[in-house]
Amino acid sequence: MIPYILLQTLVLPIIASIFIFLTRYKTGRKAGFIAGATLIYTTALLCVVGIRVYQGEIIHEEYLSFPIVNLNLLADGLSIAVALIMNLCCVVLAFYSIHYVGHRVDVIYGKLDEKTWLMYYTRFFVLFPFFATGFIGIAFSTNLIAMYFFMELLTIIPLYFIMAQFGYSDFIERYKVALMCLFWGIAGATVFLIGILLAYTHTGSFEIASLSTLAGNPVAIWVILFMLIGLFSKLAIFPLHIWMPWVHAEHPTCIAGLLAVYANIAAYVMVRVLILPLYDDFKVFCIPIMVLALITMIYGSLLAMAQNDVKRFAACSTISQISYSVFGLGALTIWSIEGGLFFFLAHIMGKAILFSTAGILVYVTGVRDMREMGGLASRMPITAVLWTMGAMSLSGLPPFSTFPAEWAMFTGIFMFGIHGPSIVLIIAVIGVVAVGLTIAYTFWSVKRIFFGPLNPNLLNNPGIRDPPVLMWLPVLILAVISIIIGLYPKPIFDLFHLVIGLL
Amino acid sequence: MILVPAEVAWLCFLFPFAGALLSPVLARIHPRLRDYGALFFSFLAALCSVMFIPYLFHLEKLPLEVAFVWLTVPIELNVGVLVDPLSIVMANVVAVISFIIMVYSLGYMKGDQCLTRWWMWMNLFIGSMLLLVLSNNLLFLFIGWKMVGLCSWGLIGFYYKDERKYWIGGPPPTKYTTPSHCGLKAMVVTSMGDVLMLGGILIMYAYAGTLNILELYATSAVWIPEMAKSSGLILLMIVMLLAGPIGKSAQFPLHEWLPEAMAGPGPVSALIHAATMVKSGVYMVARLLPIFYYGYWVSGCIEASYFFILIAWVGAITAFIAATQGMVALELKKALAFSTVSQIGYMMLALGVAGLTFSSLEGGFTSGIFHLFNHALFKACLFLCAGSVIHTAHSIYMNDMGAIKKFMPFTWVFMLIASLSLMGVPPFPGFWSKDAILASTLATNNYPLFALALVTVVITAFYTTRFFGMTFHGMESKNIEKLKKKGAHLTEVHRTMVIACGALAIIIIICGLFGLPLEHFFGHGFGHTLAELNLPFEHARHSMPHLLVPLLSVLSVVTGVVPAYLLYFSGKIDPAGIVEKHASMKILHRFLWNRWYIDSFYYMFFVGGTTRLYTLVPRYIEKPLDNFFHKLIPSIPGRLVNLVKYIQTESGTISFNLLYILLFYIFVLLVILWVVLR
Repeated sequence: MIPYILLQTLVLPIIASIFIFLTRYKTGRKAGFIAGATLIYTTALLCVVGIRVYQGEIIHEEYLSFPIVNLNLLADGLSIAVALIMNLCCVVLAFYSIHYVGHRVDVIYGKLDEKTWLMYYTRFFVLFPFFATGFIGIAFSTNLIAMYFFMELLTIIPLYFIMAQFGYSDFIERYKVALMCLFWGIAGATVFLIGILLAYTHTGSFEIASLSTLAGNPVAIWVILFMLIGLFSKLAIFPLHIWMPWVHAEHPTCIAGLLAVYANIAAYVMVRVLILPLYDDFKVFCIPIMVLALITMIYGSLLAMAQNDVKRFAACSTISQISYSVFGLGALTIWSIEGGLFFFLAHIMGKAILFSTAGILVYVTGVRDMREMGGLASRMPITAVLWTMGAMSLSGLPPFSTFPAEWAMFTGIFMFGIHGPSIVLIIAVIGVVAVGLTIAYTFWSVKRIFFGPLNPNLLNNPGIRDPPVLMWLPVLILAVISIIIGLYPKPIFDLFHLVIGLL
Repeated sequence: MILVPAEVAWLCFLFPFAGALLSPVLARIHPRLRDYGALFFSFLAALCSVMFIPYLFHLEKLPLEVAFVWLTVPIELNVGVLVDPLSIVMANVVAVISFIIMVYSLGYMKGDQCLTRWWMWMNLFIGSMLLLVLSNNLLFLFIGWKMVGLCSWGLIGFYYKDERKYWIGGPPPTKYTTPSHCGLKAMVVTSMGDVLMLGGILIMYAYAGTLNILELYATSAVWIPEMAKSSGLILLMIVMLLAGPIGKSAQFPLHEWLPEAMAGPGPVSALIHAATMVKSGVYMVARLLPIFYYGYWVSGCIEASYFFILIAWVGAITAFIAATQGMVALELKKALAFSTVSQIGYMMLALGVAGLTFSSLEGGFTSGIFHLFNHALFKACLFLCAGSVIHTAHSIYMNDMGAIKKFMPFTWVFMLIASLSLMGVPPFPGFWSKDAILASTLATNNYPLFALALVTVVITAFYTTRFFGMTFHGMESKNIEKLKKKGAHLTEVHRTMVIACGALAIIIIICGLFGLPLEHFFGHGFGHTLAELNLPFEHARHSMPHLLVPLLSVLSVVTGVVPAYLLYFSGKIDPAGIVEKHASMKILHRFLWNRWYIDSFYYMFFVGGTTRLYTLVPRYIEKPLDNFFHKLIPSIPGRLVNLVKYIQTESGTISFNLLYILLFYIFVLLVILWVVLR
């Protein structure tokens, strides 16, 4: 029995962060390995938790109990699956960042003395572990204020500071976009907080479990509405998606993959906070949510097609893809909820692959415009394979985990369409057709970037080759994990069903 | 006779998958080990498939199913293999032809720099295709379905660098197309059908509660009538379900991707775009057929009959349209591609007519699958021979060939055998199966369908004679003369290529000689399966077919061959002169050359429309929204500050003083009212 197992997963990344900060000049270039190793350890812990939960145990740890706010952590089938995959993405991107951040520091700050360089370099790894803490905190929290706290923590510490200091564009633009990210994050969380406070006025508690006492109460509709608007701004649902292309495109690519997690985690919050306790009240919102999600799916795809910037392309694809999860959750059937949540996990893996590969492209070629690429497969075969894997994953092609996720999700959506209002069936049919759009834009990007003759501008560049192994291997491992889950999704569905099946 | 356990069916697709995974490892040891290793794994797949043939003589032991639990929640799903006559026939067609084509590849791809990638894709394709045909449930069938689509994309665009020599299309003013573009086109067009089919499967699941094929058959008596209570739902499901096969098997209106798929290497065209993958749509229709037959003939759901009507008409129209396009094609492989589309149309027609009358089920079903079997053989042979000819002539155009017979006598013989089969000349296998299709169509008394099918026989004979004549006979082209002057080695190709073509030609002859018994054997197997499913139908009488149909068939062949012979063999009439001379012929030629303008329409409507849409979206929606959220809203505090400053600075004027006084008294009044009314 490992003591404080959930607390360890939450706190160890912060301890690693502090350690890196305190020893930054000594640890130097090893900072990334320290962050990565810590996250590997917490992933191992989460695997242990996962096995215990799979065997029917529910792990509940209580800490810091104040009168109305506490830090209780709960690992059940839903939270452990989500936490594990999110942490896995953090591990992969921590190792990926080791080379990438050095490159960013060189690009942004130019020639520096060793000490200053190390200061910047290690600063990234001081901030990075907060992602893991934020994600795990949201996944395991049983208290709404604690959940809100972790949402804000993510927005402020890793997102704002990393964007501001390691993002793309010039100094002013970087800070501008970082501020934009901060404002949108805070605005969304604040509207969510209004919903929390409104619920509190009727329940007298900030515990998520107590929200179920609102069931049937007219105020529940308002609570759901406020929280939904807050979550929709995180989920980048049309028209609240407008921050996503900016923020995703200008963030350093090594964390852009985690931005997809940051946005998509709201789907988990939606299930945990709204659907599970207020299932019947939530039904009012089913069709509007599905319609909005459908619009976003198609809109995001069209937007992605319009992009020439490889990072913006991935960002617009995220807008479209996240709404798939929401589409599934909106249908409110067991299949669609489990499928929607599974899609969230599958998507973040796929997006981490795609964004990381976009980062490799920028790292190697120094350009972001797809029109200035072309024909790279001949010089960068591994990168081409990774990008294709990302494209396959986003397109929901087997054997990637997005396939069983989409399949389960659409099963639930069609179930709802058949047995519910006939408009839903039309929405469902349009929804599957929208998948075709995803295939079109993802595979088009493969053609634009990697196929055809090598771009004349890159012809004489000897540096056009696959990146160091430490950059591509973690991404490849993530792709393999996604394939394994895609081939055998039973453990994930079983875990989800322990909670969702109770509906 | 020893019967292998059903578990062996797993190995049919696991071996090629293993081959795909091991190729890079073997390549590191030695390139030859990689090549022969890949071949060995495909051989094992073929061997495993052949081991199931004895079951066709022990039909009482079929169907067999071996499955394991894949999911228990939210849906219980046992996935595994289904061994029945249909899957045995399909698995053997796929695995055996694949192996022969892999042998051919040894020579064809010799010296290519990307052989590891080649063997990986090829083995992945073989495994996926076998997964598709052996799966016991629609979900894993769909997984195989998507994976063969992916392999098709990867192999069409195999020459991804888009070097000029790999372009297809032309000659100018007709535009050229690059391999990577062709791959993308195939992927997008077929995917549109695929996603709709997925929707159809899910609608079916919503009522049937199972994805297991045998369970779907067994429970159709319950769920089809239940579904029929919602008007239009069965029709919607049928349209969605058929979209997949129509896309994958390149049937009208989703047929336009296949001619461009010829950008892939020759073995790819033979394996994927002639013999196997494009048949998966036919297989899918055959798999679904019993469900709708039951729905229509037993449950009495009229909507279920649309399955047959739709597919029969789609098949007949496609057969005709594609055949007419094949009459004017200049690229050898493209001519064969149009022919493939057309011939698959025949198969679809056969499966469609199977459900139109009570007595045509067995005949229609058998003739459709029998034609699939025969076509896989002769079309694979044709494509492999075409690959050899293109290899020698260094050109994809038939008018760059001519009189090649003397350089490639073996290839000439093999292609002749395959061509005669394609035309439907007795006793070659194509004759038997096409004749059976015509007979089944006629038996339904649907004369328009029969007429369309018969006219297509004429056109088939014409274009086959044309491409054969243009390639092997007539005068030597300028290209050949140039090659000879350069001292090019105009001779038979690598021996593995000749052996592979020869093997297929021998199998074609054997199948032709035993055509009628083979057809009866197929009929017996499928009849047994259909009867086991408790489908009510009249068994076909296995005797010599009525003479009218074979007579009409042979006459049609002669009608097509004679003009084509005069034009392209004897050289007595100049085809170009005829087209130039007659305006109507010119218009018709242009119409057919432009593929009925269907492809141009799709490019204009779908590609152009989407392009227009995605350029408008950022300009008219995204930009205004961005301005609103990121410029207008952030400017509000500044504007408020300015307003307050304005009010402050302007407070000395009389109008502002009066306004303040007025507002103050309104406020006082409201306070008083609130107090009083309280």
